Amino acid sequence: MRNLLHNMNPSVKFIAVTISMLTIAFFFNPWTPLLFFVSILLLQLTMSHINWKLWLLFMLPFSIGAFGYLWTTVVFGADTGGTIIWSFAGINVTDEQWAHALSLSFRVMAFSSLSLMFAFTTDPVKFILSLMQQLKLSPKLAYGVMVGYQFLPVMKDEFTQIQQAQRLRGVEVEKRSWQRIVSMRRVLIPMLAGAVRKAERSAFAMEARGFTGEPRNAYYRPILLSRTDVLMSGVFLIILLTSCFGGIWLN
Amino acid sequence: MLKETFSLNHLSFRFPDDQKATLKGISFSISKGEKVVISGPSGCGKSTLLYLLNRLYPDNCDGSVDGEVLLFGKPATDYAPGEINHRVATVFQDPDSQFCMPTVEDELAFTLENLQIPFDKMEARITAVLELTGLTHLRHTIIQSLSGGTKQRVATACALIMEPEVLLLDEPLSHLDPYTAKQFVEWLTDLQLKTQLTIVAVEHRLDSWGKFFEREIQLDENGCLVNDHLFSPKQPILFPERSISLQPKTALQVENLSVTIKNKQLLTPLSFSVCRGEIVVVAGPNGSGKSTLVKSLCDIYKPTTGTIQSDGTGYVPQSPEYLFLTQTVQKEVAYSGSSNPTDIASLMTRLRLDEICEDHPFAISHGQKRRVAIAAMLADKRPVLLMDEPTSGQDKAALLELFELIDQRSKEGTTFLIVTHDMEFAASIADSVLLIKDGELTGKFDAKDVWNNEELLESHHLLTPKGVDRFAESFA
Repeated sequence: MRNLLHNMNPSVKFIAVTISMLTIAFFFNPWTPLLFFVSILLLQLTMSHINWKLWLLFMLPFSIGAFGYLWTTVVFGADTGGTIIWSFAGINVTDEQWAHALSLSFRVMAFSSLSLMFAFTTDPVKFILSLMQQLKLSPKLAYGVMVGYQFLPVMKDEFTQIQQAQRLRGVEVEKRSWQRIVSMRRVLIPMLAGAVRKAERSAFAMEARGFTGEPRNAYYRPILLSRTDVLMSGVFLIILLTSCFGGIWLN
Repeated sequence: MLKETFSLNHLSFRFPDDQKATLKGISFSISKGEKVVISGPSGCGKSTLLYLLNRLYPDNCDGSVDGEVLLFGKPATDYAPGEINHRVATVFQDPDSQFCMPTVEDELAFTLENLQIPFDKMEARITAVLELTGLTHLRHTIIQSLSGGTKQRVATACALIMEPEVLLLDEPLSHLDPYTAKQFVEWLTDLQLKTQLTIVAVEHRLDSWGKFFEREIQLDENGCLVNDHLFSPKQPILFPERSISLQPKTALQVENLSVTIKNKQLLTPLSFSVCRGEIVVVAGPNGSGKSTLVKSLCDIYKPTTGTIQSDGTGYVPQSPEYLFLTQTVQKEVAYSGSSNPTDIASLMTRLRLDEICEDHPFAISHGQKRRVAIAAMLADKRPVLLMDEPTSGQDKAALLELFELIDQRSKEGTTFLIVTHDMEFAASIADSVLLIKDGELTGKFDAKDVWNNEELLESHHLLTPKGVDRFAESFA
């Protein structure tokens, strides 16, 4: 039960997530995104084992963003009419404004929780393999992404090493964050020079092993479609329909 | 008559951007089952020649080929892309950029998928090649967590799983320490006996290979074939003898230094001192804390306890490029502004940088980059220089140049701490040796006491330098 989301075929999950997002985008009442957000949470609670601490940390910026939407829409939103439900410090908040504000912020919450659900329950390597096997992504692109993914930790090491070496030359660590971003280019140039060389070597190594970018006949690790996927697609569909109709009904 | 695997007839090759041809008029042929090494100085076109044999060139660089390249009796141009790679497998130089999948098993499967092997045959072939190469226990290991030597074995296994007729090796030892390199050669010898593969390797440091090869094809720096003869085991590089230029003045005094990062003690408290002009080699197994020591000495890592007293420590990383911040060599050396123009001018002359002072520091040769890095450190008033693995992947000429450079500087009073795996280099240059194991300093030894003490060396994963008698004599 707690493995269901993890065991789902990544491509099917990807399609389910995309369809859900597109559908939710057409509902402007506050209830649909709220219902959806709550259902996704319930789904994650019951059918996955994720690191909730990390999840909260990732959710934090989205929550702040959602609150920002709420606040700006309430305070600066165009006057749309409707009855005033409360007023303070000279700001009158109408019920319609309030509904818009809630709708916007719940939407942010719904979309971010959905994306995080996908990210937290999907193994990136499996996702790429599945894209290649089920959705016919070109192997050239798929393995390109895969090599990049293997390089990430190496690049991170290199980044710290270059930074350390340059600090030794007397490069000051800038106090302001925008200055720090501008001074990043000094680290990026040697790093990119190395990355270009590495990329060429990897390409050679792959070609020397007979990789031509042609679609393949057989896979060692076939990513299959199973009954779990049918079941989970059903679950996603139910969640989607419930939040859509529930939203309309509650409104 | 033996069947010819490769046959080159008056082959010349030129890169599209170059005026001069990289390879000129090369003719030779290699028969089945031969073990051939192609040798020559860095940049002579050895690797290019290898890439012509597995057809990575000319397609990948738009170079122009003159003459004839026959692979298994058929012109190279007649093969479809990827076709020849089923019969000719290659192991490359850099263990870090040969893999595209997370685990050993996946990487092997990637190769089989490329060959369009049906699913039900894959399992058997993976098991077989892992057994042949003795890597069965690593089947599910993450490749990036393996050591350089083991990565090269995995790369070889990936090459062998294709059941090729020929194995091409592109300087497979250059990133390995001598101990691991020796193990790799022994392992490959066994493997060749079992499989009767044709092996063609490119290598500039032949002394590590012992009697492995049967035949040697030598190229000169212009890309012409100068010699094609029976292989004879090579003597290690003979470095000139140097006199100790130690001055009785302490340049670096370390007391009770220890480093703890994220609750992990990387260095247990250690103390030692180094004199002015002294050359110290820091040696020990991989991951023993050599780099941590060097980095804490030059203040990249903050010491947890203890004190470091010195006139200023500078650091030259393995890739000197990491230090560069400006557009020209001249500006690079003058960057910190702590030396006056006259000092900088004399430093540039002594390190032979005046002829390249307007060049971009990224566009010069590796040896020149290192000289720029040293000059920049000395201009920063850092007379104690810490060098991290300056020897790895260097050919004979480069090593001799490095030797000369360090020797010269030490005579001028610069102190060196050098982390290296190259035992011959260490033996020829070191005044003293710091042996480190598991984050603990075994001790600071006089160089001449270390090289004959096999027990001590072995416990630190080191080998007795070849030609050690010479050093013993010269010290006597």
